[in-house]
Amino acid sequence: MPDVSRPIPKPDVYVPSKPFWDGARAGKLMLQFCKDTNRFQHYPRPVSIYTGSRNLEWREVSGKGQIYACTIVRVPGPGLEGRLPLSVATVKLDEGVRLMANVIGSDPEDVKIGCRVALAWDHLDGDTPYPAFRLI
Amino acid sequence: MTPADVVIAGYSETKVVFRSGRSAYDFAGEAFASLLERTGVAKNEIDGLSVTLALSEAGNPFFAVYMADALGLTPTWLNAGAIGGCSATGGVARAAAGIRDGMCRIAVVLSADAPSTSWRANYGAYRSEFQDPPGVQGPPATFGLLMSRYQHQYGLAPEALGKIAITQRAHALANPNALDKFKKPLTMDEYMASRMIADPLRVLDCVMFCDGANAFLVMGEDEARSRGLNKMARPKAYAEVTNFAGNESCPDITQSGFWKIAPNLYRQAGMTPQDIKMFQPYDDFTIAVLMQMEAFGFCERGKGSDYVLKTDLSYRGALPLNTGGGQISAGQPGLASGGLNLAEAVRQMFGEAEKRQIEKPATALVTGIGVIPYGRNWGTSAAMILEAANA
Repeated sequence: MPDVSRPIPKPDVYVPSKPFWDGARAGKLMLQFCKDTNRFQHYPRPVSIYTGSRNLEWREVSGKGQIYACTIVRVPGPGLEGRLPLSVATVKLDEGVRLMANVIGSDPEDVKIGCRVALAWDHLDGDTPYPAFRLI
Repeated sequence: MTPADVVIAGYSETKVVFRSGRSAYDFAGEAFASLLERTGVAKNEIDGLSVTLALSEAGNPFFAVYMADALGLTPTWLNAGAIGGCSATGGVARAAAGIRDGMCRIAVVLSADAPSTSWRANYGAYRSEFQDPPGVQGPPATFGLLMSRYQHQYGLAPEALGKIAITQRAHALANPNALDKFKKPLTMDEYMASRMIADPLRVLDCVMFCDGANAFLVMGEDEARSRGLNKMARPKAYAEVTNFAGNESCPDITQSGFWKIAPNLYRQAGMTPQDIKMFQPYDDFTIAVLMQMEAFGFCERGKGSDYVLKTDLSYRGALPLNTGGGQISAGQPGLASGGLNLAEAVRQMFGEAEKRQIEKPATALVTGIGVIPYGRNWGTSAAMILEAANA
């Protein structure tokens, strides 16, 4: 558990997102899926970015992927208390979609582009898991 | 496309100030009054107004209307510039269209912001749920990611980014409007030793939010000449794109919207990169400058570091770069930022750049960048080629 609790986002402020948060509590990474094109998209949108239709649903992804880009945030900011230096990466999931996420459980200097990663769970507070990744 | 018969016939710019304690309206008033004084145009002749939306007044969806009220204007053509750092060049292009369509005759394109005094923006959308939790609130993390990917694909010499920062700093020393804090030369040792904030991004790769304003007077060329406004900058070409690759989940983030618009821009202008006498690119981060050099054909893709290291980018050089210091060394006046690069291009064309004056300022390429999206490069890319039309 983290020493400092971070802001807990309200779901559904942009588009309906409860499946993402419910999934996280069940240990599953749920992302939005376009049924017309059989492709995922992230973050969720009000329509498919591929077709413009609302023929969307939420599906679980494997959480396996590869580091596409990575940085180490070293400057303080809101929600960063006690977290610096912080490994931030763009992860390309095997399902063909990218997320920005933290890589936890290793020295940020060891995170490199091309590294394989698996889903891990960070915690915004005592009972709000948030998806992150770990090196494998 | 901007017709050749519409020109920028005047410009004004305030000094860039950090935590001025003043509002965007007050800065706008300073730039506006100066524009009237410099051009001799009477306030009541102005019937077109483009206002860049400001971080410091972001809670007000009627900001442009309130600005017209603040300045005592009654425009028959009003545009709210909502593409951030692209709003100045974009505002000029839209004003040209408004003039061509007969909606107004004389337009002012005004950008004023004071985010270092008052920050009222909240981008909302998906950010609280999907961008803030991993710690990507500000642009530096996103640019650290972008730089890491560029470095991975092409190689990136920190000395090249350092040279951009140092060259622009030298230019800022000769710019009376630049932020006072930046009025000292920068060395490569200082650049290399500057603190990492989001690896490989250093603090000296970044802009600092400040306060300030700029304004441009746009009208038909005949109208300008009839008023004796004989210093003119003619927009030869303009192009913009928003949300480039927006229907893809995994685009190559080292390819920005500038790659899409550059060929169109040169075609409109009937020019090639060799015809560009000064480059005034939007410079929120040094890597953005380097990537734009590639997109606009000054060098091959991925060869930006080599190009920068071997090219004289000073105001006397082969490709004069951000000759007023750019935003990185003059200070970034919030979303009025795009007008800073544009004002410098027009100032050079008017022959008013004093100690940093380019010898033959016949053409300029000015660009804009608007908003930093989720895990990509930037949201809007805009570019304008200007041609000096001095009588």
